[in-house]
Amino acid sequence: MSRSDAIAKIETYFDDGGFIEDLSRRVAIPTESQNPDRMSVLYGYLTDEMQPTFERMGYSCRVLENPREGAGPFLLAERYESDDLPTVLTYGHGDVVLGYDEQWREGLSPWTLTQEGDRLYGRGTADNKGQHTINIAALETVLQTRGSLGFNSKLLIETGEETSSPGLKQLCEENKDLFAADVLICSDGPRLSPQRPTIFLGARGAYNFDLTVDLREGGHHSGNWGGLLSNPGVILAHAIASITSATGELYIPEWRPPGIPESVRNAVHNLVIDGGEGAPEIDPDWGEPGLTGAEKVFAWNSFEVLAFKTGNPEHPVNAIPPKATATCQVRFTVGVDPEEFMPALRRHFEARGFGMVEAEPAKKGYMMATRLDPENAWVQWAIASIQSTTGKEPAVLPSLGGSLPNDVFADVLGLPTVWVPHSYASCSQHAPNEHMLAPVAREGLQLMTGLFWDLGETPPAYAA
Amino acid sequence: MSRDAAIEGARACFDDGKYLELLGRRVAVPTESQNPERLPDLRRYLEEEIRPAFEAIGHDCAIFDNPVAGGGPVLLAERIEDPALPTVLGYGHGDVILGYADQWYEGLDPWAITQRGDKLYGRGTADNKGQHTLNMCAMAVALEVRGRLGFNSKFMVETGEENGSAGLREVIEANLDAFAADVFIASDGPRVSPDRPTLFLGARGAKNFDLVVDLREGGHHSGNWGGLLSNPGVILAHALATIVSATGKIQIPDWLPPPMSNSTRALLADITVEAGEEAPEIDPNWGEPDLNSAQQVYGWNSFEVLAFKTGNPEHPVNAIPPRAHAHCQIRFIQGSKREEFLPALRRHLDAQGFEMVEIQPPPPGNAIDFTATRTDPDNPWARWVSASIERTSGKPTAVLPQLGGSICNDLFTDLLGLPAIWIPHSYGACSQHAPNEHILLSEARDAIQLMAGLYWDLGEAGTPGKK
Repeated sequence: MSRSDAIAKIETYFDDGGFIEDLSRRVAIPTESQNPDRMSVLYGYLTDEMQPTFERMGYSCRVLENPREGAGPFLLAERYESDDLPTVLTYGHGDVVLGYDEQWREGLSPWTLTQEGDRLYGRGTADNKGQHTINIAALETVLQTRGSLGFNSKLLIETGEETSSPGLKQLCEENKDLFAADVLICSDGPRLSPQRPTIFLGARGAYNFDLTVDLREGGHHSGNWGGLLSNPGVILAHAIASITSATGELYIPEWRPPGIPESVRNAVHNLVIDGGEGAPEIDPDWGEPGLTGAEKVFAWNSFEVLAFKTGNPEHPVNAIPPKATATCQVRFTVGVDPEEFMPALRRHFEARGFGMVEAEPAKKGYMMATRLDPENAWVQWAIASIQSTTGKEPAVLPSLGGSLPNDVFADVLGLPTVWVPHSYASCSQHAPNEHMLAPVAREGLQLMTGLFWDLGETPPAYAA
Repeated sequence: MSRDAAIEGARACFDDGKYLELLGRRVAVPTESQNPERLPDLRRYLEEEIRPAFEAIGHDCAIFDNPVAGGGPVLLAERIEDPALPTVLGYGHGDVILGYADQWYEGLDPWAITQRGDKLYGRGTADNKGQHTLNMCAMAVALEVRGRLGFNSKFMVETGEENGSAGLREVIEANLDAFAADVFIASDGPRVSPDRPTLFLGARGAKNFDLVVDLREGGHHSGNWGGLLSNPGVILAHALATIVSATGKIQIPDWLPPPMSNSTRALLADITVEAGEEAPEIDPNWGEPDLNSAQQVYGWNSFEVLAFKTGNPEHPVNAIPPRAHAHCQIRFIQGSKREEFLPALRRHLDAQGFEMVEIQPPPPGNAIDFTATRTDPDNPWARWVSASIERTSGKPTAVLPQLGGSICNDLFTDLLGLPAIWIPHSYGACSQHAPNEHILLSEARDAIQLMAGLYWDLGEAGTPGKK
């Protein structure tokens, strides 16, 4: 049996509907980690869906409680073959963002996999059930074809990624032996473009915080008081306008990267971002002037107003609102210190007369930025493997635009981190109508099967 | 002294609880004009509360259907004693804004009056049921003491004021003779401070509009797209920041009134806006620089962001929102270029690079668009009413060229051609458009006496008379 047999086998798995059947079952489990009522569903995903699959593949499984109260559990599955073989840690997350059922397009539901043309709609298809379903199937195919994996495999499935992975770091810090490996190979996030296999080696960090202007109790009639009472919506709009330009250029020095390292710039400068069919039109004038699109998203920081509310937007009345709040976010690369974000913002506001604007970091903390050197041996090996399966040169991103708990693997566990994403940028992963592209899924199955096959045959020189 | 008897009778009506009983019954009718399901309650309020009360004091009542679909009816009560006597047109509105029952203090219900200390809580206590009920009681007492009013009375109660008085103009236009009078005297809005009797002679206009930045369909992951896609919340925040300064000064020259006249400046120079206990603290640095608080609210224009929304504020997700939306308002005095507000805004936004910010009509539920109006402070009726009130109160009356809030006063000044004099019985901190709306009992007790004195004086010789 050969590499090509394994790839042919996984093609059959996809073409005969096995993949859609597995993914449909997983999408149907509403694992919303932002909804406290779903805790038992998170457990169920691990014990009733993941565990039987892994045990069938000869893995021993254990469910690990989250050290953080109220946060979802982890599943660690392990298949040990030999001390002489490399150990690969593969990560996935079983939780999804809120379904927002009523906001999906007519005929779609977040909890039902629906195929329309090339698209597989459903919550978690892109983030992350579709992606770990690909990797699990690829592992199983290699195992069935070869009779063994040819390497040691550890699989970690968490259920809190969409709430910033509470407890993941602590769990790994306290159980380094349990998670010890030689490399992390896993999947999340988007390809650079749907057609181009992609490897990314880290991720931007994400720092969420709330801005609040809370001036007084209750609303006050805008006729009787208009001109006499400060308006929190006006003040918060001005405060936000002082953080970035009207075209998204960051004004706070501590929020800006010191620059883009030469090797990173070389890797990303010429990458063309193609979100695929249905992708939003990129605004060339948005963000840091003078950077290419790829530099903006893979090598620079960005600021977003994720939500803003004052007054009663659904049923407005003629009253000066008492309070305005905005949920904001900084996405940042390696090279800035997120611990400095709030003190710098405080100083910035004080200097501009916005002392009344309160800034409160998100309780769940933030995601650290990571980046691996593209010259690393595992990276070069993965590029060659993917190229041999697909005949395409994969794009290599030093860090993904989106955020991942990659610091746990890169910094706590000290692993080279190789991410092979199977989604694409327009997948609506945190919005209604989330979907995966069927051709990308199929190619993902092929190249992951090739990658895991090669790992048991010709792994790179690695330090054990 | 029969004038004193009338005042005494009004005080008794208050102290005996008769006024509170009437008001309690009226507050219990949930006349939310912004809620289409309440249309039957609007009619019920007129049929079961207002009509019987006026019939009891010798008025004939007619109820006009609203020509605007979904609009509430209008009642006109009329008592003509002698065509040679002057006719006074009164006004009130029976509708209220939405109850928002879940947002009131523990133990309070918008649809029941609740007394706590000097405050009487309930939706409509301040705006406007408490005020027209008070005037109706005072008129009844003056009639009872004298046996007749001594003037002709017309009194209209509409039920759509909180929804922009839709259809009221058409009703009056179609029945100009029925509504004809010599002077308009009514009550709504707040005194400058709870213990200072106040007249206002007009009202600021109000124009609501929406600003919308609608960039694309659906949210997009802020990690994958952050830096590549423009953020509508950031753009709208910047656009708003160009319209008004961070301290509330309007930045669009065409939105400002002509420079304040010396007489208006003087009229307002000694008036202090004191809204009373628990009133919000006035921000002295807000608004137009160099104006005092009275000049700010009774003599200048203001801009508000009434509501702003982008993304999913209750459950934020890490996505760049597709759309941001602000519901905004200009309050403006007579002399402002109302028709120029939106064209000037468009020019301003375009000049500042905000072509993508769309100006849209406000939602139908909060679409007020009022003209600014003003009766000259030197008008004989204005002086006469001010003197009558001073005679009862023994205090100088505060005279405001216009109220800060907006009312449909142009129907009386422009359409009916009347001097329009408003005698407010509420106060600034009454939470009238918010949860916990209330009146002050001490102020209402004072006001019912002023109104009894006024209705008494209207039946005496020495009024400015007929037109």
